[in-house]
Amino acid sequence: MQAIKDNHQWLMALAVVLAMPLLIDSGSLASEVLIYALAVLGCNLLLGFTGLLSFGQGIFFGVGSYTLGNLLVRLDLPLAAALPLTVLAGVVSAVLVGWLAIRQRNVYFALLTLAMAQMFYFLAYTMTDLTGGDNGLLGVPRPPLSILGVELLSLESPWQFYRFVALCFLVAFWLLQRVTTSVFGRTLLAIRDNEARAAAVGYDVHGLKLAVFALSGGVTALAGGLLAMMAGIAPLSSIEYHSSEMILVMTIIGGTSNLFASLLGAGFYVLSADWLSFIWPRWLLLLGVLLMLVSLYMQRGLWGVLESLWRLLRGRRGAAPDATQPEQRP
Amino acid sequence: MNVYLLQVVNGIGIGMLYFLLAVGMSIIFGLLRFVNFAHGAFYLLGAYFCYQAVEWGLDFWLALAIVPLAVGFVGWALERAVLRHVYDKAHEFHILLTVGLALIIQEGVIMVWGPIGENVAPPDVLKGVVMWGAFIYPKYRLFVILFTAVIAAGLWWLLEGTRLGSAVRAGSESTEMVSLLGLNVTQIFSLTFGLGVATAALAGVLAAPIRGAEPFMGLEALGIAFVVVVVGGMGRFSGALVGGLLIGIVQSLMSTLWPQGAQLMIYVAMGAVLLLRPHGLLGRG
Amino acid sequence: MTATPVRPILRAQGIVKRFGKFTAVQDVNLSVAPNTIHSVIGPNGAGKTTLFHTLTGTLPATAGTIEFDGVDVTALADHQRVRHGIARSFQVTSLFPSLDVRENLRLAVQGVHRLAAADGWLPPTGPRARRELVDEILERMGLTRVGGLPAGTLSHGQQRRLEVGMALAARPKAIFLDEPTSGMGVDDIGGMKALIHGLRGDHTVVLIEHNMGIVMDISDTITVMQQGRVLVEGKPEDIRNDARVRTAYLGNMITGGAA
Repeated sequence: MQAIKDNHQWLMALAVVLAMPLLIDSGSLASEVLIYALAVLGCNLLLGFTGLLSFGQGIFFGVGSYTLGNLLVRLDLPLAAALPLTVLAGVVSAVLVGWLAIRQRNVYFALLTLAMAQMFYFLAYTMTDLTGGDNGLLGVPRPPLSILGVELLSLESPWQFYRFVALCFLVAFWLLQRVTTSVFGRTLLAIRDNEARAAAVGYDVHGLKLAVFALSGGVTALAGGLLAMMAGIAPLSSIEYHSSEMILVMTIIGGTSNLFASLLGAGFYVLSADWLSFIWPRWLLLLGVLLMLVSLYMQRGLWGVLESLWRLLRGRRGAAPDATQPEQRP
Repeated sequence: MNVYLLQVVNGIGIGMLYFLLAVGMSIIFGLLRFVNFAHGAFYLLGAYFCYQAVEWGLDFWLALAIVPLAVGFVGWALERAVLRHVYDKAHEFHILLTVGLALIIQEGVIMVWGPIGENVAPPDVLKGVVMWGAFIYPKYRLFVILFTAVIAAGLWWLLEGTRLGSAVRAGSESTEMVSLLGLNVTQIFSLTFGLGVATAALAGVLAAPIRGAEPFMGLEALGIAFVVVVVGGMGRFSGALVGGLLIGIVQSLMSTLWPQGAQLMIYVAMGAVLLLRPHGLLGRG
Repeated sequence: MTATPVRPILRAQGIVKRFGKFTAVQDVNLSVAPNTIHSVIGPNGAGKTTLFHTLTGTLPATAGTIEFDGVDVTALADHQRVRHGIARSFQVTSLFPSLDVRENLRLAVQGVHRLAAADGWLPPTGPRARRELVDEILERMGLTRVGGLPAGTLSHGQQRRLEVGMALAARPKAIFLDEPTSGMGVDDIGGMKALIHGLRGDHTVVLIEHNMGIVMDISDTITVMQQGRVLVEGKPEDIRNDARVRTAYLGNMITGGAA
C-alpha cells in the first residue's frame, strides 16, 4: 500500500500513457505529448522545485535535437549509443548555461537565461554545417533500437515510435520521482523557499543549482532528440525563443507543485494546439485568455483545478498534500 | 557620403526609437517591480492604430498625438482592472499574465488586419530627402531623431520637475515612503503604467512609416526592449537613453560590418552586462 | 578567582567591511573565549549585524582575518564555515516557510555534513530523518506541538524560537544569535533568556541583543560597538558603569536587569 502511495504520481503517468492510444488517433500526436512532457518536467525541476525561472529550456531542447540528428545522420551511431550521448550533451550545455546564469538571482537570472537563449539561437542560425541553419537538420532517421546487432524494437510506425517514447518517458519520470523525493530533492525545496537560509545552514547552493540544471538539461535534451526522430528533422524552431517560452507556459499551466502536473500541462497544450488550430487558426488568442485566467485565479494550474474538483467530489476539506512538501511519515 | 557616418546617423535614429520603446518598460519595472512582457504588443498596437488612422484619412500629425494617448489609456485601464491583482503573486505570474495579454493583442491584430502587414506612408511634408552639402538623408528619419529628442526632454522634465515624476522616482526607491507621504500609490502605479505603455505606442507610430506595420514586430520589439533596459539599467531614464543609443548605433554599424552577427552581438552585450554589472551601465552599482 | 589564559575559540582581527563608499565595520578586533556568552551591543547602525555577517561568512570581509578553533576561516563562505562549527540565527526571521517545522530542523541537522545533500536516490526517511535530534530540539525549543505545521504559519515567538533551533541543529561549537528575542512577548523572552543561558555548557554563544535585561544578566563578556568600531569591552559590571557607553546610548538603558 505504501508502495502505491509512494509511486502514485508515476502510476498516474502510466495510466495516461496507456490511455492515450485509446483516446487519440495519431501516434505522432501522442508521442508529441510525451516529448513535450519530458521538456516540461525539465523546466519544472528548475521552477517548481528549485525556484529558478529559466527562459533557456529551448537551448537544451535544441541541443538535444541537433546532437541526436548529427549522431544519427553524420556518424551513423546506433540509437542505443546516440541517445545517452544526447542526454550527455544536454547535461554539458546545461552546466555551461547554469554556471553563468546562477551567478545572478531572480529577475536578472531569468533575463540572463533569456539572453543566452537568444545567443544560442543565433549561433544555431549561423552554424549551418551543424544545424542546417534556417532549414534545420534534415533527414533524421528513425533507426530501430538494437543492441549488438539484435533488433529489439522497431520504431517505424507512429505507434511503434510511441511505444519507445512512452518507455523513455516512464523511465525518466520514475527516475525524476526518485530524485525529487530524495534527500537532494528535499534540499532543492529548501533553496526554493529561502536561499540565504539554505546557505547559512551549510548547503553549497551554487553546486546544488548546477546539479539540478544538469538534470534538467539532460531530460530536456532527451525530449529534443526524440522530437527530431519523430519529425525527421531537427528544426531551428526548437531552439527559438518561442520554444523556451512555450515550455515555460506549459509548466506553469500544468502546475508547479508536482511532476504529474507537468504531464497535464504538456498534454493540455499539445492537444489543444492540435485540435483548436484545426477549428480556428487564431486559437492562440484563447491560449492568451487562459494564461491570464491562470495567473489571476488558478495559480496552482490544471493540477490545482483537478485537485479542487477531486476534493469537492470527495467532500474533504483542508489542504491536500503537495508533492513539493515533505510527506508526513508515521 | 561616408557609409559609416550614415550608419551612425541611422543608428542614432533607431537608437532614439529604442529609447522610447525601452524607457516605458524601464520605468514600469523601476516603480512597479513588474516585468511587462506585453510591452512589445503595445508598440505593435501603436503601429497598427497609426496605419488605421491614416487609412481613415486622419492627418498623420493627429494620429501621432492621439494614438499614444489612446493606447496609454488602454494600458492605464488594464493596470487598474487586471494587472494590479498579480503584484503580490510570484514573478512567474507577472510573466504569464503579460505573455497572455501579448498573445491576445497579437492575435487580435492578425484577426483585424490580417497576417501580412501593411505599409504606412510618411506625411507628405516629410517625404523625400534633405540635402546639406554632402549630407543626404531622408527627411522622415531626421524628423524622428528631432521629435524623439523633444519627447525625451519632455519626459525628463516630467520625471525631474513635476510632483508626479518625483513620486515615481521616490517610489522606485520605496513605495512605503511614498504612501506615507500621503500620495496615492495605486493611482501613481496606474498612471505610470499608462505612461510607459504610451511611449511604447508612440515608438510604434514613429516606426510605422519606416518599417511598416507587421504582426510579429511586437516580439522583436520586446527582445530589443529587454536588451536596452538591461544594458542601460533598469528603472533609469538615462539608462534607457544611453542604452538605446548604444544598441541602435552598434546594430547599425554591425549591419554593414557583420550583418549576421548584429543580433548576436546585442544579446552578448546583454549577457555581459547581466554578468558583470547587473544593474546596467548607468544603474546603481 | 584568577582566570587561566584560555585560547579563544574565535579570534577576529582588523575586520573591515565596506559597501561602496560606506564603511560599516572599521578595524574591529574580537576575541571570544570558549563556553562563554559574549554579547555585542550598541546603538542602531553600530555595525553589529554586519560584523556578524563577516564572522559567520554570510558576507565576505573587506579586510581582516578570522580564526575559528585554530582554523583560518577568512576565505570560507558561510556554508563552509558551518562544517567548522559555526551556526547562526538571523535578526529578521529566515526560515523555510512552506516546509513544516520538523523538515526545517531536519534540513538544518543535515546541512552540517558535507555531501549530505548529494543523495539523489534515497528519501529522507529512516536514519536520514534524524528523528532523535529533531525531536530533541523541538522539545528544547518548546515546539513539539507544532512540529507538523508549515514554518510560515507559526506565531512570531514560535518562529524566533525555531530560528534559534535551526542554529542549534547544527550542533555548533559557536552559535551566533542575532537579536533572538526581537519582537517577542514578555513571556517568551524569559524562556529564551533561560535557554541561551543554558547553552553555555555545550556551546560558545555570541549574542547581539537590545534587551539589556538579558545582556547584563547572562553575559560573561560584553563588546560595545558604535559607528562600526569597538567602543569598549569588558564584564557586565564594567560596561554598566562606563561613561562612554552611557553617552553612546544617550541614557540609562544600560542599567538593565532585574525587574
